[in-house]
Amino acid sequence: MIRVDGLTKTFTANKEPVAAVDNVDFEVADGEMVTLLGPSGCGKTTTLRCVAGLERPDGGRVVIGNETMVDVAAGVFVPPNRRKLGMVFQSYAIWPHMTVLENVAYALEGQRTAKAERHRLAMTALDTVKLAHLADRPAPRLSGGQQQRVAIARALVGRPQVLLFDEPLSNLDARLRMEMRGELRRIQREIGLSSIYVTHDQSEALAVSDWIVVMKDGRIIERGRPLDIYRYPRHVFTAQFLGTTNLVPGTVDATDDSGGRLRVTTALGPIIGIDRSGALRPGAKVKVSIRPEDLSAQAVDGLANTFDGKLTNALFAGVAVEAEVSVGGTTLACLLNRESDLTPGRAISLRARPDACLILPEESA
Amino acid sequence: MTDAASPAPAEQRRFHLGWREITLALLIVFLAYQVVIPFMMIIWTSLKTARPGDPEFLSLTVTFANYARALGSASFWRTTGNTLSFAFASTLLAFVMGAFLAWVVERTNTPLGRFIGFVLIARIVIPGVLIVISWILIASPNIGLFNQLMRPITGIRNVVNIYSFWGMVWVQALEMVPLAYLLLSAAFQAMDPRLEEASTMTGAGNWRTLRRISLPLALPAVGAALLLLFIIAIETFEVPLLMGTRAGIRVYTTEIFYDTSRTPIDWGLAATYAMALCAVAIVLLFVYFRLIRFGERYQTITGKDYRPRRIDLGRWKYLTCAAALVFVFLITGVPFLMMLYASLLPFYQAPSLAAFESMSLANYLSVFDSAKTITPMINSTILGPVVATAVIFIVAAIAYFVQKTQVPGRKVLDFLSFAPIAIPSVVLGATFFWFYLLVPLPVIGTLTIIGLAYLTKYMPVALRFVSASMMQIHSELDEAAQVAGVSWARNFFKVVLPLLRPGLLAAWFWVMVHAYRELTIALMLARSQNRTAAVVIFDLWEEGSFLLLSAFGVMMFLLLAALSTIAWLIGRRFGVQEQY
Repeated sequence: MIRVDGLTKTFTANKEPVAAVDNVDFEVADGEMVTLLGPSGCGKTTTLRCVAGLERPDGGRVVIGNETMVDVAAGVFVPPNRRKLGMVFQSYAIWPHMTVLENVAYALEGQRTAKAERHRLAMTALDTVKLAHLADRPAPRLSGGQQQRVAIARALVGRPQVLLFDEPLSNLDARLRMEMRGELRRIQREIGLSSIYVTHDQSEALAVSDWIVVMKDGRIIERGRPLDIYRYPRHVFTAQFLGTTNLVPGTVDATDDSGGRLRVTTALGPIIGIDRSGALRPGAKVKVSIRPEDLSAQAVDGLANTFDGKLTNALFAGVAVEAEVSVGGTTLACLLNRESDLTPGRAISLRARPDACLILPEESA
Repeated sequence: MTDAASPAPAEQRRFHLGWREITLALLIVFLAYQVVIPFMMIIWTSLKTARPGDPEFLSLTVTFANYARALGSASFWRTTGNTLSFAFASTLLAFVMGAFLAWVVERTNTPLGRFIGFVLIARIVIPGVLIVISWILIASPNIGLFNQLMRPITGIRNVVNIYSFWGMVWVQALEMVPLAYLLLSAAFQAMDPRLEEASTMTGAGNWRTLRRISLPLALPAVGAALLLLFIIAIETFEVPLLMGTRAGIRVYTTEIFYDTSRTPIDWGLAATYAMALCAVAIVLLFVYFRLIRFGERYQTITGKDYRPRRIDLGRWKYLTCAAALVFVFLITGVPFLMMLYASLLPFYQAPSLAAFESMSLANYLSVFDSAKTITPMINSTILGPVVATAVIFIVAAIAYFVQKTQVPGRKVLDFLSFAPIAIPSVVLGATFFWFYLLVPLPVIGTLTIIGLAYLTKYMPVALRFVSASMMQIHSELDEAAQVAGVSWARNFFKVVLPLLRPGLLAAWFWVMVHAYRELTIALMLARSQNRTAAVVIFDLWEEGSFLLLSAFGVMMFLLLAALSTIAWLIGRRFGVQEQY
């Protein structure tokens, strides 16, 4: 269990104090993987480094298990080497002057175990990441994916209470990244360790997490289960950052009779959608978020949320066709069946179910 | 588009004679002339008892008489011992000081770090010979300021004697600290702090991280820095010449100088010492490059959020700051202030109220009075920029062929242009002199011969600056110009050279400053008409005109500072200020 309360960290940039992490709270339950997701500079890595003890926060508390690691108000700071954590770095940080086995076994040197026992445990850890056959290879002579596995084995071998991942996959190429994603999730589940995972890659976050915490400018925007936060983000920022979406600006016209539904006047005509917050009143400026996969080309005349337009662009992407449809000057991105007629300029009607049209308050910044 | 098809166009190109091929051929001929001949001259002269210019010198009979004479004499072995122990001690001292300064500036939160680094690097505009002289004026017996000031306090006639082994080591070490600092701060910057953090995360304390991670990782870079300093200390000339002679400590470089400057000139013995010097340098360079390559293996992928870790020293930071400032004062401040002080005096004396009252600009006026000082100043002002400009054009062409083309012969270019690094200045000066005694070209006694020797001397380092820059230019830029149908020569001048600008400016700057302040080669080749500024300082020193010398030194320093500032301003206009 990890609990972070009111964590704050300020840096000085150009003699101006900048809050890299601003009053951040979150919790990681036993055995769960929580992802800190956000664009670069949002404070996610600094948060992780504060949990690791590599940065000293200016305010707040970090509790791991039953032990308070940091409590700024009480003057408590446990140094990183006493926190019993495992960490995987973005650059892997594999020591180039050691072999694979030495890299992993080094992590056990602080414990009072015999050398033979250290090597045995290191081999077991290398087995977990399927790298036992390369144990004697000098570390620099490994591919990126293999270095990544060594880094994970090294983080695991000391039986830490918590695993920390700092953008562990961002230096790998696309195919390997997909593969390692599944691998990471498998290992984390097998070992059942509470983990914090930092990434700026939304699809990675959706794939590996139990919970996602979305951050921006040092603050937490919102948090949720991967499917919930993808389907029903509460902020325009989250809707945009997690996957692709069409954002149609408009004004709330009237509340519909059936629960939670609103009618919004937009450039596309009236759209019926849902308001999960229940706080939007007629006249409010809003954005309607419609995911491309929720726009279907099988339109039925006379139903609500039907948009007649012209196909302007179509890219065959294997699974489906990524298409752009111009509806009265507004461009909508949608996914079409790969057998569709892709003639540019042809007339096309799109429809979105009201449940898939999410009405979000327009953000001030 | 297949791999098999690509060699074909290269094959066609090989038989096409264009500007590119002509340039390549000219470069190879030039390098053979400038680099291969000096090496052959040393070897050949060491195998002959006749002097260059004698008909006998060109006959094919060789003898090992010179080697037998040198290796059989006690003085050769004494000189060898002196050379190695002097180089060893000054290397260690320079390394310790340089490492401390680099650590303070790069890895701690010591205040004034940038200032300390800047003042250290600014030292390179002070000629080496002036640094030696200023320390002699401070700590020589009888006239040394420090000895004069300490006499009433301690009652000892001479507290320190700079004319001694440790005096030489002290001055040589101070002279090398800026280089040690540069090499080590580069090594500190290249170290990924994540490697240390990863160790901390496994539960290791600071001590185990230092012993098992930081030190082993720094070892190749540290070893390379030590070796380079050692090579420089072995090849150094100013300190042994001005201090070693009176201290009775002779090293290889001074032996070569004396063998070639006394009558009768002992060519064979000088060449034998030169061979010994080159042999040591080549062996050390071989080890140096092995270490560099070993170090490159340690380079790992670095994350985007790379931020060097600085150690918070707490209140100790004021102590490290004070210590660093003292070092910087000794290294840069002392030579400059000493020259400035002496240049204003009517006669040399310890600082006192009377001394300050007697100060005037009289010495500066006498510098302007004499053609003996003005002509050499003009000579240096011509040599510096001209040689620098010539070197960067040659080096840019070499770097282009080596890195951006597949032309056969480019490896030869690479090797030849780097080989002069193994020839010590004193040997280079001697071989150029010997060669032009043989060849009936009227260059002896002109600036041309010095300029030619400088070309060979400064090519290797300039090439490193430009290569680093060339590596950042993607081959596709060059290829795009070729596909667009632009001629090779036009492309080189319009695309390659402009893109190389940062590297070229850095190389130009470095060569200009060093050619301006260089003493050894200029002294070996000096006649009455081609004396340079540094040679005049040596002349004035021999005459005992310290005060005129100091005024001249201050002017030389100011001129060089002005030239450097202009170069820096030009560089900034072209947007290269981030690379210094």
